[in-house]
Amino acid sequence: MVKSMRSAVVRSVTVFTAAALAVPLLSFTPAGASKTPSDTTFPRNETLYTSGTLWGSPGNFNPLDAGARDTGTMGLLYEPLFLYDPIHGKYIPWLATSGSWSGSNYTIHVRNGVKWSDGSALTGADVAYTINLAKTNPAVPWSNLVQVGLKGATAAGNTVTVHFSSPPPYTAWQNFLWNQPVLPAAVWSKMSATDQVSGTNQAPVSSGPMVLVPGQTWSSSTQQTCYQDNPNWWGTSQLGLSFHFKYLCDVVNWSNNIGLTAFLQGNYDWSNNFLPGINVLMKVGGYKQIKTYYPTVPYMLSANTAWLEMNTQKAPMNNVWFRKAVAEAINPSGITQGVYAGIVQAANPVGLLPNLSSWVDQSVVAKYGFSYNPAQAKADLAKSGYKGQSLTIAVPNGWTDWMAAIQVIAADLDSIGIKVHPVYPRVGGVIPLTGMGNSSSYTAFDMIIDNNAGPDSTPWSYFNRIYALPIGGKSNEEAAGLNLERFSDPTAFNLVKKAAVTPLSNTAALKSIYSQIEARFLQDLPEIPLWYNGAWFQGNTTYWKDYPSASNPNDQYTPVMWGGWLGAMTTVYALAQLRPAA
Amino acid sequence: MRRYFARKIGIYIVAFWFAGTVDFLVPRLMPGDPVQSYLSNFIGANTTVTQYRAMYSAFAKAFGLNVPLWDQYWHFWDGVLHGHMGISISQSSLPVTSVIRGAAIYSLILLVPAIVLAYVLGNRIGAMAARRKVLDNTVLPIGYLFQASPYPWLALAVAFYLGAVAHWFPIGSGYAQNLLPSWTNWHFIVSVMYHWFLPFLTVFLVSFGGWAIGMRSLVIYELETDYARYLRALGASQRLVRRYAYRNAALPQLSGLAIQLGTVIGGNVVAEVVFQYPGLGHLILQAADSQDYFLLMGIFLFIIIGVLVANFVIDIAYVMIDPRTRLAMQGAQA
Amino acid sequence: MSANPGPARAAGSSTPAPVATGSPGEELDELPSAAPAPQGPGERLEKGALAGAQAAPVAPTPTLAAGAPAVRLGRQRWEFLHYALRNRKLVFGFSVELVFVLAAIFGPLAAPYSSAGDSSSAGVPLKDQCAAFFCASGMTTHPSAHHLLGMTYFGGDVLSIMLYSLRETYLVGFLGALFAGIIGLALGFTAGWRGGWLDDILQLFTNVVITMPALVLLIVIGAYVKIHSPLFEGIFIGATSWPWVARAVRAQTFTLRERDFVDLARLSGKGGVSIVLKDIAPNMASYLFLVFILLFSSSMLLSVSYDFLGLGPTNVVSLGDMMNSAMLWSALNLKAWWWFIPPGAAMALIVFGLLISNIGLDEVFNPKLRES
Repeated sequence: MVKSMRSAVVRSVTVFTAAALAVPLLSFTPAGASKTPSDTTFPRNETLYTSGTLWGSPGNFNPLDAGARDTGTMGLLYEPLFLYDPIHGKYIPWLATSGSWSGSNYTIHVRNGVKWSDGSALTGADVAYTINLAKTNPAVPWSNLVQVGLKGATAAGNTVTVHFSSPPPYTAWQNFLWNQPVLPAAVWSKMSATDQVSGTNQAPVSSGPMVLVPGQTWSSSTQQTCYQDNPNWWGTSQLGLSFHFKYLCDVVNWSNNIGLTAFLQGNYDWSNNFLPGINVLMKVGGYKQIKTYYPTVPYMLSANTAWLEMNTQKAPMNNVWFRKAVAEAINPSGITQGVYAGIVQAANPVGLLPNLSSWVDQSVVAKYGFSYNPAQAKADLAKSGYKGQSLTIAVPNGWTDWMAAIQVIAADLDSIGIKVHPVYPRVGGVIPLTGMGNSSSYTAFDMIIDNNAGPDSTPWSYFNRIYALPIGGKSNEEAAGLNLERFSDPTAFNLVKKAAVTPLSNTAALKSIYSQIEARFLQDLPEIPLWYNGAWFQGNTTYWKDYPSASNPNDQYTPVMWGGWLGAMTTVYALAQLRPAA
Repeated sequence: MRRYFARKIGIYIVAFWFAGTVDFLVPRLMPGDPVQSYLSNFIGANTTVTQYRAMYSAFAKAFGLNVPLWDQYWHFWDGVLHGHMGISISQSSLPVTSVIRGAAIYSLILLVPAIVLAYVLGNRIGAMAARRKVLDNTVLPIGYLFQASPYPWLALAVAFYLGAVAHWFPIGSGYAQNLLPSWTNWHFIVSVMYHWFLPFLTVFLVSFGGWAIGMRSLVIYELETDYARYLRALGASQRLVRRYAYRNAALPQLSGLAIQLGTVIGGNVVAEVVFQYPGLGHLILQAADSQDYFLLMGIFLFIIIGVLVANFVIDIAYVMIDPRTRLAMQGAQA
Repeated sequence: MSANPGPARAAGSSTPAPVATGSPGEELDELPSAAPAPQGPGERLEKGALAGAQAAPVAPTPTLAAGAPAVRLGRQRWEFLHYALRNRKLVFGFSVELVFVLAAIFGPLAAPYSSAGDSSSAGVPLKDQCAAFFCASGMTTHPSAHHLLGMTYFGGDVLSIMLYSLRETYLVGFLGALFAGIIGLALGFTAGWRGGWLDDILQLFTNVVITMPALVLLIVIGAYVKIHSPLFEGIFIGATSWPWVARAVRAQTFTLRERDFVDLARLSGKGGVSIVLKDIAPNMASYLFLVFILLFSSSMLLSVSYDFLGLGPTNVVSLGDMMNSAMLWSALNLKAWWWFIPPGAAMALIVFGLLISNIGLDEVFNPKLRES
């Protein structure tokens, strides 16, 4: 009996596993052929596959949860009042048709004829509700407006008047206009304060060019978020914009190397991954179907500034000569060429992105700027009092390009006698690095790479990130990611605050302020700008063509789906230019 | 028999409580602040300190981290018993249980067949090798070689030769991107199987060698024991002797299965990472990277429950297979 | 037989009590939980337990021949050497180890390129100002006369990096085996010698540790620990891979403590610690040596997996780290097999050599297994 029981168990188990094994083998052919349209939910020639934005499970469509929202939540579903075009340096009216200052009031004319996806009209009341949310829920991303003088917004039809105390926060307000969504008041007003910012909003009521494909389930094994065209989108009738693909699926991205495989195989059409060596594959590898924004060097638009960030409250990094020595010892081409094979550019000494280059005071740079100069670095190091301490430089584990970059930096620093060891802790981003190891000790980190200063339409946020005071708590938590290098310069911060309340139209005054800040920056070097991370974009012309390109004057749009780009810059225009390849 | 199982269950409960407490404490005793980590994703240059504090408390509340440790511990067990494990910070703020449910299916269809098949085939072939010189000379070195191979290497080699070079199987992801997940869709299931094969093969190969080797030496040993000699002296057929030897050797192998479960799960993580397979192993690395307390704890607990349940099943199987324990228990009951 | 029926003994879930001593049926009346430390197949339990486990590659079950006097290394040194030198498995295994140990010690000195800073960039700024992988006419980093095992994406010489990596891998393997051995022996001897409630508690503890998936625990802990040194990795591996050693040693101690010579020692008034160390341990010396070899190889394999997942030491190169870099930098797509196949093959060969020498040693120690 025992024997029979046991052999029955063994037999059934064997049969089960043999079956499990056999099915994939037998199903080999149908699976291999599953690319034919008849098998698929999304016909290949009607679907644009994008990748490179979403790194975790999809399923969050709350535009206020910038940490978790899916690709397309901003831009395809929710939209801002204006867009910013960094390539041509201008604002484009979007849900607003115009806006203007009059004293301390700002008047917004909301576009007529915009409908939410549930059929109701988007009106000035929605815009006013969105703005006023800052007063009732301090966790919404624009609640800072209240602290810098927002009094409230009132709507009369589609005209919204926003009241500020004097002087109004011109820069912060401008940032709101092109970065933050207009919310459906009817939906958000019914949510709890916590849900407003952290609910997953899986049945979004939205205004944008696409809507979610119904019937999708969300879990960690879901690999993509799929949208379909919104036939009632206002942009089609009012701006003549429409998408030539029916579906857009953004595929969850797990690693750059898998991204490269999928992209080269034509599985992704539009990749915002960092794909090492892509330019060489284009030129030498015979991949003619790959397109980048610039057809030649530097191939990619610049996305943000990579700083070498030192803990300026800790010796020897608190010594300006030490920081200068570090800045002069690093050869940026070792990174831009050696690590990135030429698809990124070295930063200018001030570090402002190319779209803001008109704000860089070249006379200040000529006077105080640094450049690669090992001999000078050694001389400066001698003045710094550096005693040969062993230091660390950290980047998050798995950020492969940065991991390689800090090895180049460590080698450069080693050659002038500074001992720096690269380390790669497993953390989710740059900010945790600064509290690394011990949250009760702000002396935890020595050097990190930071690129948190994202693209902006003014230099203000860049300098605010450097100089903001007060310095955060012991693990920087209260600094909210500002002034991570813990550098105290009240004079510079006062200039930053002054810039914030200077009208954007008063270019001369702003230039003078920024010139003074730049002079202080180059003399103190609280941060060392190294290179510009690329706005990684690769298009594959197998299924779709007419990707944005610098060489086509009618198609110079931002080719990036990342948060802060799609739905704030001109990515939607870029998508509307795409045509089927065949 | 009832007393035997009652005691076993008691011990499992103690082990579960202990493991659960470790699970609760480890992420909390370690430095690092998950809310801060989460917020760092969406604070902009406009964010002020006041605003940051407001956001911090909103999210701390949403994640249930705004209460004293003791209360959190209470909530933790309450949640475990009711299936509420909190919100995943790293996975789109989805509930931890649904995140785990999605990934667990993929891990289970990878692990269970790989473990069972490796065990059954490995033992069979190992036992055969013990009595056939030709087979022994091939199985033994190959088995040792598989056993000596590091998991990542075997996974990379399989991915490279069968995936990247031969293009027989895909590497990366759990199903074709043109499908929406649905376990009632035949195309989807086929696609899952197709993507499943290489990681399965990796996990299978590494454990297979070990079982074969273990069984081979156990059977050889059994054949040398006094009872085997005695049986032979009595004139029993070779076949009968071997069957006894196999049965005796199967017992330690079975308890070995229980011990190695935790290790196979580890190997599974490696395979999931190499093949970008959407299971728990892959998920836990993401969770650790983003200091996603709740998800980490949830996965850890899930794995521990899995290991305990598997151990329990093996315990029962052991009693069923081993006539001595079974008889002894019936005796005790009587 | 003196059973020690602690309630927690069978706790193990994973130790469904070994019963067999000699022949099946001999002890039908014993409850599984009351099973005494077994002889013969009993200790095989511990080994069989490991069969198939990557963590502890099982080799030929080291046997402490039941009933036969344990082999003492000292007394039978000449006989041992005689058989050792004639055992082809042992000679093969040791030769392989010798080659790799020498490579680990002297390799970095003789490495063709002193470039081994890290596998992902070889620690040197690139001379050619281009990613070497793509320099000149594309894929020119195949193995060649200049670079016997080819180059990495960054122009690092794979062979040189591998030679540096061997050291770290051996070091972690040794540390892991050492710590696991110490913990396992201490707990195993204590449980086996003292028995009673202490044994029950230690058994329960062992079983809890066994149920904890080590890799998962390391991911959780590793995510928060800033400094990852080979020492940390070694300690962690040691702290999680001792349970099977503890079980095996406990079982052996149970057997030995009932022997006459132990009774004699007890009568002579020796203390427990002294008896364990001076009478029991030497009797298990050959067994313990084999256990150490298994621990050594399993620790190395574990460290490769950990390093591969980026959980290993950060400031040194290792074989797992090389494979990680290769994967991260798309070596699979770029068909750069020489970047990840050789490091893994070296590791497999090292462990293979250890396993084979383990069989050989087993045969030498245990006359029963010798090929006639």
